Amino acid sequence: MSETRFKRMKDLPSGHLLGSGTPMCAGCGGLEALHEIYDILGEKTVFVNAAGCMTLLSVYPFTPFRGSWLYTAMASAPAGAQGVRDALDILLQKGRMAPTDDLEVVVLTGDGAAYGMGLSATSGAIERGLDFLYVCYDNEGYGNTGQQYSGATPHGARTATSTGARGYPGYKKDLFSILAAHRPAYVATAIGAEPLDLARKVEQAKGLKGPRFIIALSPCPTGWDYDPKDTVEIGRLAVRSGVWPLKEYRDGKVTHTKIPGARLPVEDYLKTQGRFAHLFTPQRNEALLGEIQGRVDAYWQAVG
Amino acid sequence: MTRILLTGNRAAAWGARLARADYLPAFPITPQTEIIETIGSWIDSGEMDCRMATLESEHSMITAAGAAAATGARVFTATSSQGLLYGMEMIYTVAGWRAPFVLVNVSRGLASPLTLEPDHNDVLATRDSGFLQIHCATCQEVLDSILMAYRLGEDARVRLPVIVNLDGFYLSFTREPVETPDPAAVDGFLPPYDPENVRFRASAPLSQAVVVLGGSPYSYFRYESHLAALNALEAHEEIAEEFARTFGRTYGALDTYRTEDAEIVFVMMGSFATKAREAVDRLRQAGRPVGCVRPRLLRPFPEEGLRRALAGKRGVAVIDQNISMGKGGVLYGELASALYGLGQAAPVLVSFIGGLGGRDISAEEFYEMAAVTRSAAEQGTAPPPRLLYTLDELREVRKLQAIAHVERQGLGEES
Amino acid sequence: MKTASRILGTALFLDGFEVQDAPRYGAERRGAPLFAYVRASRQPINERGVIRRPDLVIVADDTLVPMPAAGVMAGLGDFTVLLVNSQEAPSVWKDRLNLKGPVLTLPATAEDRQELRFAGAACAGAAAALLGVVSRGATERAIREELGPLGAEVVAANLERALAAFDLMAGHAGCVQEGTEVSASGYRHPEWIDLPFEDARVAAPAIHGAATSVEVKTGLWRTMRPVIDYSRCNRCWWVCSSFCPDSAIGVNAEGRPQIDYEHCKGCMICVAQCPPHAIEAIAERAAAAAEGGRP
Repeated sequence: MSETRFKRMKDLPSGHLLGSGTPMCAGCGGLEALHEIYDILGEKTVFVNAAGCMTLLSVYPFTPFRGSWLYTAMASAPAGAQGVRDALDILLQKGRMAPTDDLEVVVLTGDGAAYGMGLSATSGAIERGLDFLYVCYDNEGYGNTGQQYSGATPHGARTATSTGARGYPGYKKDLFSILAAHRPAYVATAIGAEPLDLARKVEQAKGLKGPRFIIALSPCPTGWDYDPKDTVEIGRLAVRSGVWPLKEYRDGKVTHTKIPGARLPVEDYLKTQGRFAHLFTPQRNEALLGEIQGRVDAYWQAVG
Repeated sequence: MTRILLTGNRAAAWGARLARADYLPAFPITPQTEIIETIGSWIDSGEMDCRMATLESEHSMITAAGAAAATGARVFTATSSQGLLYGMEMIYTVAGWRAPFVLVNVSRGLASPLTLEPDHNDVLATRDSGFLQIHCATCQEVLDSILMAYRLGEDARVRLPVIVNLDGFYLSFTREPVETPDPAAVDGFLPPYDPENVRFRASAPLSQAVVVLGGSPYSYFRYESHLAALNALEAHEEIAEEFARTFGRTYGALDTYRTEDAEIVFVMMGSFATKAREAVDRLRQAGRPVGCVRPRLLRPFPEEGLRRALAGKRGVAVIDQNISMGKGGVLYGELASALYGLGQAAPVLVSFIGGLGGRDISAEEFYEMAAVTRSAAEQGTAPPPRLLYTLDELREVRKLQAIAHVERQGLGEES
Repeated sequence: MKTASRILGTALFLDGFEVQDAPRYGAERRGAPLFAYVRASRQPINERGVIRRPDLVIVADDTLVPMPAAGVMAGLGDFTVLLVNSQEAPSVWKDRLNLKGPVLTLPATAEDRQELRFAGAACAGAAAALLGVVSRGATERAIREELGPLGAEVVAANLERALAAFDLMAGHAGCVQEGTEVSASGYRHPEWIDLPFEDARVAAPAIHGAATSVEVKTGLWRTMRPVIDYSRCNRCWWVCSSFCPDSAIGVNAEGRPQIDYEHCKGCMICVAQCPPHAIEAIAERAAAAAEGGRP
């Protein structure tokens, strides 16, 4: 990570740009990440939103944004960003807009759109070299409709559409690697519970041109079934247990930005959430717990 | 002003060029592709100052088109058939943004079965979206309608996107003489796009396309779009007058041909309507007072004009190049509702469905439709809707079915 | 043929006619037969689509004439002029096809494969002459307009063939008569039927059999024919047979590759890949003649 103005927590912005009063759930880990991101990006931005929980950030006549926003649809927010960016460039080039009126174009999407329906639009935007920032709040399921499993749901999690004893049978898709394989300007994972790491990444992304991505794991009290007060704690556990590696991709290289020294057992993270309760009661599902721990161990072994 | 031979597709590209479109989000699909290829080549040669972006789908293409219009650029895009349907969510969505742009649809029948040749089910699927619709019958009209569509969509009374429709093959790949207007005259007719307060600027924060909760605000916004679409009738009339003054070609919401003293009238949309004109001339030569009405605007629907044009006629043959499964011809239903309540002055409406998937309509069939309609008018009742389909065609299908090993035994047929 | 129709359309337009011209594409790809049409009138043209009663039919590839699938004889009336790009005499065609109307041939580009690419221009030039209302100058300008972007050499080569054909047909100038439209007073009533309901097991677009595509004789796409010289053939059939995209090379009982000419499209991959160069490309016409019959 290059030079940063965010060296200590005290360096983080104290005044917050994102307006209060949104209909997001109390304790929303996604909103936490978004407001941290917005503070650094600033209001000279236009957010192009995909369908998801944050569709409801702006409900007529209320918007939390001090800059601009365009709601599109679930699958095509990156294409909306393409249209806005291209139009801004055209208007600037033809002198029909003051250079000071230019905006940074930001896609805001949940994991449902990012890992699934919107993937081809995202891939297309990278292939066209679109100059934009893409923020995914990843709460590991279709949260806005009541937490059905998505391509981002972790193995074994109980969701509204995986209620059996083994939970979700699939495996969380590696979106970071899918995006990095396109060789864009920047990809990072982040989490609101690690604001300094997040701030540095937004700062980095802001300084680059081209397609830039931030995937923020977003603890979700409603969908993950825990007390809203635990959002930050659970987020920290995700990092310290190694479940959510904090890393970034730049110039063809992946760097881990926060390597947990002594990794906590994954079950320390799992047992905080109702969506994994069936792994512990009525009796411990050792096989499944072992499998989940094994996958995390294998990941960290592989990255050295 | 020069008169040159242009395909319908190239005429559409000329429309975009003369309208000085800033932005072309694109995706290839037959039979539209020549439009984006043509504009692409003009961009490459520097003849057109436009930016082109090939999106990865029509859904994305229409999103990008709407988003660029919502940012304040003049946008042109084009698609056909399956592409229009693939983008359908965004067709409805962007219309509500009240950010005008022009989309050319080159009509092609819809799957299934998949086909290449034209009918109007693709464009009619967008009927209720909030896009205005202009249907063209000649390559000249394609070019002219694009210029008019920008004026119409950008009119302060309207502010809606517009679809300009042309038929695949019959116009898209067919060259006809087209007058390409003088660019300076076009600039006078169509000034640069003023997005008013609908555009993204750092100095003026704007949240667009915002969700509403509750039926009341929803009803308000939706009905406002409807009122705007209705305003387009009056706006179109004014724009058409100015267009006629500037360029010498007149386009009404309805294109009427020899209807004044007609007793029987063909009503149909699109390029096949010129075939109806031809039939009208021949029928007139044979002493039959027949005319033709072609709605150019489908949305807004020129109801008053249709009532004026058709009140007092004896019979109307509505020829639908589309089919609504379980109902019949869409134009027939639209027209019947427009003419409802005319009482004694209401003509007998006879419904014909023809030209599906580009199936030709012969001169003899036009004559026969006039005769059937004439006899329905005399009897005062309409026969059931008729698909234009001959015994020979069914025999040909039977041959195809034999190759496809379709088992016809046990169907109660004579062998 | 698309080029031919455009040249003829432009020539008519330059001489003051209202014009409509269009190629007709199918779903088939490069190499498949295609056709194009031109309408011209002193009045604006309202008729559209494929011409049902042509006044002049021009066939650039005479092997297509006897193929019912190619449909080149559709709509030919007693007064329709037929122009065939063929070395055979007009009288042969007239007898063979049992035609009442005039038949003419254009022998110049029919035989030589190198000349084949100029068939379009030659046909357009000949057609312009036969119409009798298009000037030689307009024909020339039309070729310059339509082929200009391809470069001066292409223009010159096409001009030479087109104008030669124009001059060759000068004696028949004006033999094409403008046909009359169907009258609305005495026309043949269309045989409309009420389409019957049929079960979905019949009326869904489904093929209940395997590989029915072999009924499509794509051999008629071919202008060149690959011919195996078995005296040089190594019997390494896996080369030509694997590379043939159309599954048109099989292996016979003696282990020799055998070309299925009903389906071979004439791509010549086998000719290019044959290790001992045992497959030769022969003009289809010559190959058919050598066989003593038509392909």
